[in-house]
Amino acid sequence: MPEFPPRREDSPTFPLPHVEHTQPFRISSHPEFRSLRRAQRRFGIRATILSVGGFLLYVLVSFFAPAVMNQPLFGRLTVGLTLGLGQFAVMGVTAWCYVRHMRTRVDPLAHGLRVRMREDESRRAGPAAPRSEAGRFFQQGARGSRAW
Amino acid sequence: MVTAAAIDDSSLQLTFVLFLTVVVITLFTALLTAPQRDEISEFYLGNRAMSPLRNGLAMCGDYLSAATLLGSTGLVALTGYDGLMYLGGTTVAWMTVLLLIAEPLHRTGRFTLGDTIALRLPRRQRSVRLALSVCVLAVATLYLVAQLVGSVALLTQFTGVPSATTRTLCVAVIGTFVILYASLGGMPGATVIQIIKAVMLVVGVLFTAGWVLHHYDWNPNALLTAAADRSGNGARFLEPGLRYGGTVSNKLDFLSLELAIVLGLAALPHVLMRLLAPRGSGVLRSSLLWAIGLVGAICLGAGVLGLGATALVGQDAIVGTDRTGNASVLLLAHELGGSLLTALLTCLAYLTLLAVAVGLTLAAASSLAHDLYGEVIRKGRASETEELAVARLSGAVIGVLGILLALVAWGSNTATLAFLAFAMAASAILPTIIYTLFWRRFSAKGALLSLYGGLGCSVLLVVFSPVVSSTEASIYPDADFAWFPLQNPGIVSIPAGFFLGWLGTLLDKGRPEQSDVHEEFEIRMLVGADD
Repeated sequence: MPEFPPRREDSPTFPLPHVEHTQPFRISSHPEFRSLRRAQRRFGIRATILSVGGFLLYVLVSFFAPAVMNQPLFGRLTVGLTLGLGQFAVMGVTAWCYVRHMRTRVDPLAHGLRVRMREDESRRAGPAAPRSEAGRFFQQGARGSRAW
Repeated sequence: MVTAAAIDDSSLQLTFVLFLTVVVITLFTALLTAPQRDEISEFYLGNRAMSPLRNGLAMCGDYLSAATLLGSTGLVALTGYDGLMYLGGTTVAWMTVLLLIAEPLHRTGRFTLGDTIALRLPRRQRSVRLALSVCVLAVATLYLVAQLVGSVALLTQFTGVPSATTRTLCVAVIGTFVILYASLGGMPGATVIQIIKAVMLVVGVLFTAGWVLHHYDWNPNALLTAAADRSGNGARFLEPGLRYGGTVSNKLDFLSLELAIVLGLAALPHVLMRLLAPRGSGVLRSSLLWAIGLVGAICLGAGVLGLGATALVGQDAIVGTDRTGNASVLLLAHELGGSLLTALLTCLAYLTLLAVAVGLTLAAASSLAHDLYGEVIRKGRASETEELAVARLSGAVIGVLGILLALVAWGSNTATLAFLAFAMAASAILPTIIYTLFWRRFSAKGALLSLYGGLGCSVLLVVFSPVVSSTEASIYPDADFAWFPLQNPGIVSIPAGFFLGWLGTLLDKGRPEQSDVHEEFEIRMLVGADD
């Protein structure tokens, strides 16, 4: 497909499996690929429903059941105002959980599959293309980047 | 609309000097960092090796416009609880981006959203790219007009309703800066101004909010009590329903607005473009965390500013200056820090709208040059130099278009225009993004129907809404053809966009895409090409 050269010219890329005509390595039917898809999608959808849906629910309750929201808690702070502040806390916790989930569950799976695809590719390309070093270099991206 | 100039002349002059200084400095920096070689990747994406903090600042800068700084704060000052809910929605919007869209889009994207969709629907990519450019252009132009109209509204705070010449001059000067930054500087130039603006915004808002809290001995309860006392509404100020209470259609209007805010962000073209800028997904993730933290802090600070304005200035003075409440931050600054703080915050507001306008112009120009010219008109045969020239030219054309439209629509409400742009983005562009990433069967016909249909639906509903006719504040106050009761079309048009995408896919009887296209896309989306 001429429209899509590899996205980054300076980085290692791999020909996608179907391009090969000799016994392709079907990564999409690999059980690890399936669990990767499940792990990423399920968490994303659940967390979105929880945080965004929770906020919309808060808006709905505020307008259609104001009596619940108007009960005073401390001084001028009502239940509604406290829940509003709580939204920020919920967001913080959700973001933290997301990062932890991605680091522990998703990234290792994706990395493993990537390495496997590269090995498979270099095995077929012959011994002339040792690319595993490059893969390790880019893996540092998540933590090894500058703080500023 | 405005009875008296809010702030004295000395702070206007000070603002002028400050603003020019910042603009000249950033413009030089932007030109120095501008793409030196004729490479489209540098023009579209800028420096891809930036640290997460800088990326996060740039994202935050792209997202927070003058509508948040002045408009939302004014709403808090006037309506208390209802206004605070806006600010909540503004922050929650980032969760959709972080949790669902950012990383899959980043792994499959190249320069524009059209590239991601073309990877997924390669056979009919040209017509989809055309539709996408139309939607991006519509959303970006509307949002750009909102920013330029905001510059006139801001001037109004100082001089009273400006004369036609002053108005034209103001919009033309800001518009020219926008074109210079976007066309000459490209993404590197836009990034410079976004980062400077975001740093100033964070510092300015948090500093002033700290000052307000210090005034009340860091006791939020005292602030709330003072705000409620001087709001003219007593305890009702801290309860829902002051603005959007009463009738069911009022309440639905607010829900519609919140939907548009929460879902629209994920489809704003300049924010999407910013997501593609970092090189690795790990950097993107950290950048988003920074962005969420910064946006959250600014929204909390803006809430304190709004409450502080009511508590310290009093609602009568705020409404007396500007009925929409846009003046509240500046009045508060005048009360606390005299002309100097007022000038600083005004300068910040101008810089904010300038920076957002640059981001929008750049996003629209990229879409025109890359999707429309490069892929649809030249069918992928355009050279990089050629595409770059078209991108610079389209930046200028969009800027001029924005200036002209802003001069026609100068009297409209900035916040209303901005939220309409959010609603249009959420109904036209978001369904296609979600379906492309997560629905295996999604087809080109579905994409076309949801892009054109979502856009058409939201535009039609706006035309027949109170924004255009029937009320005092509408564009044609004397006519009455508003059969749609809500100010914001989101609650109808967003589901309509999703429905049309689904319907179009079901009705698509054409030859389906090859079965391995989706497989390949999914591998790229989950495993990624590198990093």
